[in-house]
Amino acid sequence: MANRITFCFAVVLAAVYLYAAGRFPALHLSDPLGPQAFPRLLGIGLLLSAAGLLAETLRAGKPGSPAGEGKAQGAGRCYAVVVGAVIWTALYFAAFEWLGYAISTSIYLLALMAYFRPGKWMSNGLTSVLYSFGSYMIFKKLLLVALPAGFLPF
Amino acid sequence: METLNHILNGFTVALQPINLWYTLVGCFLGTVVGVLPGIGPAAGIALLIPVTYGMNPGSALIMLAGIYYGAKYGGSTTSILIRTPGESSSVMTCIDGYAMALKGRAGAALAVSAIGSFIAGTIGVLGLTLFAVPLAAMAIEFGPAEFFTLMLFAMTAVASLTGRSLPKGLLSMFLGLMLATVGIDLQSAYPRYTMGVLELQEGISFVIVAVGLFAVAEVLQGLEMLVRGTAPDVIRISGKLWLTREEWRRSIGPIWRGGILGFIIGVLPGAGSTIASILSYTMERKLSKHPEEFGEGAIEGVAGPESANNSDTAGALVPLLTLGLPGGAVTAVLLGAFIMYGIQPGPQLFKEHPEVVWGLIDSMYVGNIMLLILNLPLIGLFVRLLYIPRAMLYPLIVAIAVIGIYSVNGSVVELYMLLFFGVAGYLLNKADIPITPLVLGLVLGDLLEQSFRQALTLSDGSLGIFFSSRITVTLVLLTAVSILWPLVFSRMKALKRLTTAKSGD
Repeated sequence: MANRITFCFAVVLAAVYLYAAGRFPALHLSDPLGPQAFPRLLGIGLLLSAAGLLAETLRAGKPGSPAGEGKAQGAGRCYAVVVGAVIWTALYFAAFEWLGYAISTSIYLLALMAYFRPGKWMSNGLTSVLYSFGSYMIFKKLLLVALPAGFLPF
Repeated sequence: METLNHILNGFTVALQPINLWYTLVGCFLGTVVGVLPGIGPAAGIALLIPVTYGMNPGSALIMLAGIYYGAKYGGSTTSILIRTPGESSSVMTCIDGYAMALKGRAGAALAVSAIGSFIAGTIGVLGLTLFAVPLAAMAIEFGPAEFFTLMLFAMTAVASLTGRSLPKGLLSMFLGLMLATVGIDLQSAYPRYTMGVLELQEGISFVIVAVGLFAVAEVLQGLEMLVRGTAPDVIRISGKLWLTREEWRRSIGPIWRGGILGFIIGVLPGAGSTIASILSYTMERKLSKHPEEFGEGAIEGVAGPESANNSDTAGALVPLLTLGLPGGAVTAVLLGAFIMYGIQPGPQLFKEHPEVVWGLIDSMYVGNIMLLILNLPLIGLFVRLLYIPRAMLYPLIVAIAVIGIYSVNGSVVELYMLLFFGVAGYLLNKADIPITPLVLGLVLGDLLEQSFRQALTLSDGSLGIFFSSRITVTLVLLTAVSILWPLVFSRMKALKRLTTAKSGD
């Protein structure tokens, strides 16, 4: 299944990529090829690789078995957790400049640690806060890295 | 004579207190990266590149290289104590190293791994010292056509050797090359695939892609593993951290053989240290008078592979430094670092920046000594890292990556790009598509296109230029072989299986 999805993705990507390459102007200023020739070769290369993958998949036979499907169902929670972590990270980035590095990072770390290490409030809290504020002071004050202060006065 | 002077000058650079400090920091961090399962040297180096922006390039490269070979030392610790390779090339050490630990010989396994790494690492650096200059001198005659075919060969070799499927390797390579075309075209100044986004005009930042694909993707993978299961138990270090006379006698041959084999494998593009350690293990089992002991705690099964994967690192630096050609993920990340510091590895590097390149090579002699000290008396300190809960470690890695990426341009858009490439890396792993060819394509893409277009400009558009010299013809043939060999090999295996099945009937 994964191979078939990869094949479809590669074909769509190659089509979009080749279409965009076709819209580049044919500027033959110093070289006989212009800016569109190399991307065209790459688009064709991607299509050929996708075709090779499809051929390999078809030759390998039918994918998936009842046991495999059961395993995939069991993996549902794992993927949900990963999707949740990705969304949480995106929210962290959205609040990054507004809340500031130290506060947003503390909240981000604390939430993740609380989920994956439930019940260890003391060590989770201390690690989150000490790391966030410690790294903020080191990078901002000592190494002069421009991290956002957000609500902090310093 | 001139080379000898450069080597000696390199030592004056490497032995400067500041560079000794950075060597130590690199080796220490490398060992940490090696010990922590799931975080490889490519991720470790990519995470640290932004921190090194303000540093002297020579010192920064000394530190980053220290992480590279230091990780090989640390990788064996987890293989021996928790049967999980801290670094992919330590996978073979899991077999006999762990079996030795179960028998109460963890100390001897760790000792032979550190001593073998030290001896083989030094063999590798000696090889690098001896072969780098002749190879660079040969490559100085290369024109755009030679460079194009050379890069093409390196990339197809990596694409066909990494992962289990040739089409997937090639697909990954083309994705990397396509990413490299984003930004303003250097010859026509026309913006390509920028979609009007200002941040994309200068191209996609290599650091963002590397940190995303290696570090963030590994974190997502690690979080998934946390939900799936529990962390393995750590075996306590037992027995003296030294070898008996008999263990010495049995180890010294595998160490030398592994050292030489690893260096040769390292020079070849695509093969990598994992293949070096697998080949070394196979060779030692074949040469052994007691092959039945392999898998049950044979010290040769630790000494050989651990030596091979260490000398491989120095071997991999030969094509990187002399031809500007990375043969794997870590050297691709290192090449990206070189380019960001404004230094182009290749034949001219030894003429234009002798202090940087020889300082780097000579620092590896010093680094190997430091690593021996770090990995024998101080091994207990590193073992404690194995007790850090991964549920704490993974979120912290994201936070470190955020500092690194944000500190470069202060852009939140780049943080979103980081997350995008992290998710992309996770999905590529799920689809069993190797990441190394993608990174290689991204790093070499610009150079590949430039040499392609320069070669065709010289030939007035004739593709015949790629068949005009013995070097280009050889490289084109090697490229064809690297693509066709996996197909022929799988066909041969299928035929063999068929024959065996028929004879069984």
